[in-house]
Amino acid sequence: MDKNRTFNRVSRRDFLKLAGAGAASLAAGNLLAACAQRASGPVKLNVLVPAAPDPAPPGVAKFSEEAFAKWKTDNNVEVVYEAPPWPQLHDKMAANLAAGQYVHDIMYNCGWGPEFAGYLVDFVKDLPKELIDDLPASSFSTVTWDGKRLGVVFTLSLLTLFYNQEHLANAGITDPPKNWDELKGMAKQLTGGGRYGWVLNYGAPEGIGGVASYWMCFLQQAGGKLYGEDGMPAFNNEAGVDALQVMVDLMESTDPGSISYVGINDATNVFSAGQATMMMNWPFMWKPANDPATSKVVGKVGSALLPAGPAGTASIDGTDAYTIAKLSPNPDKARQLIEFYLDKEVQKRQVLDTGWLPIRLSVLNDPEVQAAAPNAVVILEQAKNPYDSFVTPDYNAVTTAIGSELQKALAGSESAADAIKNASDQVTEIVKKRGS
Amino acid sequence: MQQNSEYNRRRIRMGIWFSAPAVIVLLTVLAYPILASWVLSFLRVYFAGQGLSFRFYGLTNYTELLTNQLFREALLRSIYFTLVEVIVVTFLALIVALLLNHPLGRHAFFRVVLLVPWALAPVANAVLWKWIYNANYGILNQALIGLGIIDRNIIWLGSPVLALNMILLADIWKAVPFIALLLLAGLQNIPSHLYKAARLDGANAWQQFQHVTLPGLKTTLIISIVLQSIWALKVFDLIYVLTKGSPADSTVLLNYLSWRVTFSNLDVGYGAAIANVLFVLMFILSLVYIRALRPRKTKEKVG
Repeated sequence: MDKNRTFNRVSRRDFLKLAGAGAASLAAGNLLAACAQRASGPVKLNVLVPAAPDPAPPGVAKFSEEAFAKWKTDNNVEVVYEAPPWPQLHDKMAANLAAGQYVHDIMYNCGWGPEFAGYLVDFVKDLPKELIDDLPASSFSTVTWDGKRLGVVFTLSLLTLFYNQEHLANAGITDPPKNWDELKGMAKQLTGGGRYGWVLNYGAPEGIGGVASYWMCFLQQAGGKLYGEDGMPAFNNEAGVDALQVMVDLMESTDPGSISYVGINDATNVFSAGQATMMMNWPFMWKPANDPATSKVVGKVGSALLPAGPAGTASIDGTDAYTIAKLSPNPDKARQLIEFYLDKEVQKRQVLDTGWLPIRLSVLNDPEVQAAAPNAVVILEQAKNPYDSFVTPDYNAVTTAIGSELQKALAGSESAADAIKNASDQVTEIVKKRGS
Repeated sequence: MQQNSEYNRRRIRMGIWFSAPAVIVLLTVLAYPILASWVLSFLRVYFAGQGLSFRFYGLTNYTELLTNQLFREALLRSIYFTLVEVIVVTFLALIVALLLNHPLGRHAFFRVVLLVPWALAPVANAVLWKWIYNANYGILNQALIGLGIIDRNIIWLGSPVLALNMILLADIWKAVPFIALLLLAGLQNIPSHLYKAARLDGANAWQQFQHVTLPGLKTTLIISIVLQSIWALKVFDLIYVLTKGSPADSTVLLNYLSWRVTFSNLDVGYGAAIANVLFVLMFILSLVYIRALRPRKTKEKVG
């Protein structure tokens, strides 16, 4: 009996006292640490951007490092980057914003501006007039929602045609295709001997850079559009079907692996290995395609406008933009950091060192920039034609629905007409649910 | 007697207090998300385009599941995936376990090598198989062409049926080692005198396997099958890395569909409803697992 009493000497009161003391110590420690941080030290800005080689700012990508260090010192700012691979960005933002807590001040956005509109600051009106005037007015279309400009695009990134000049020359072709018929004919002529006339990544249906977004280029080339004035799908027509039919017709000249490539890099690797002659790609491709370390087609790459359909040439916008979170405790400092990213010299180093074109018109027209990035002239010309990405808050759901049907047609299990009709029906349901 | 009762009551109370922190953590980490998921599934959650807001939606998310073709197809694919994986993994793992239980296979080296696939991180495993299956540069095509089995590259992830089964193959490869070791442990628990007795009675190898090995492995087999079923239902990494549900949604399984609807399409309530269906399936399997773990009561023979 005595032994049992000794064993149970710790009372409930003692236990509660111990637990309370432990919890209080922890809380006090955390409070002291937080207060110490607030009391002194630079302003901390948390920035969410993709990892290089996707478009990334100084500090993540290797350019303007000295200028960036000076800016941080002059402005008493500490910039903390979170740079996950590009495919993880959307989910990370969705989870952070849904949590309703401050995580990032600046966030990279790619067509998700309307989707996250409720969480972003309309800061563009506070940018210097000189900067606004130097940006293409149309670049704001993909970051504007409900009358508010929620971000600023920092790189002119439209899809254009990339082609292997040597392949064309060996086949007796002097110029890249200018229209759909020439595109299909040349692709067929250039297919053979283990090489294909066309390659693209059709493996992922959704988002900018998914198969649905590629079809949108052809849709606009056919004179079509995704939505009507009433906001309902308006592509179940001749333009929508013809756009898909071009892609289907190209399949006999397309690298068969295209249907399984989920990322643009998978298709770029095939082109850079010299195993495909033509593809659509973003402007950044110019630099790695001419880098001996990563490409076998150095000096053989040409860039041209996307071949025209019945309504002319058209493209889509990559919509790479910086936005500021509503929960940011330092929106003014965040805006100033974005202004630094858009500084003329920083924009110039962006293209010279990373290959991502600037958005500032004065920098795009700089002779040094045009010499280093000959495709800049092509991009500027492409930008004179339609390049709507048709972004909406439910862009992922819409492009997933369209992309899945397109994949069936590309695989030959459905006709183009049926695929477009099914896609239109699904998008109609999504749009109806938008308002419910 | 009174002092014993007081002692036991104090022991129980102290046990409750000491286990309370762990229970609180488990409730927070497990119970709260499960409860939140059920609550969300009865709501219409508005997120995209506007701030976060909720509206009571009743059973609408669940009725939408019943009428949604993609959900039905994902459910059937998940059942197919689970059934095939369980059968193939159990069969292969049993063969491997029998080999490892043989005197020649008992060296620790074989067990260490066997564990390598299981030890790989799931995403690393997926990236590895992505390169193996690559249409142009993958080693699978190169090996088969070199052996003269095929004469041109196969697009392993390009057709619906083939893509799903190649993902299945990659998951089977990763799952066999752990189940093999589980079965090996079960094999080593079978008393050797049963085999001696069987040999004395004239049983051949197959009869010994049929009447000694299999009955002795019954509980371990049930546990392996249930665990493997749960893991097969949860598969996500391979689909995310290899196909993103393509081509044409043919590799979309329930777990991936739940993620896509919730995080990509931001239809949180509907995504929660899909996740809850998966939860119910795995909960049922877990009950079977727990029942299989219960010690068997041996019946005493009378007379």
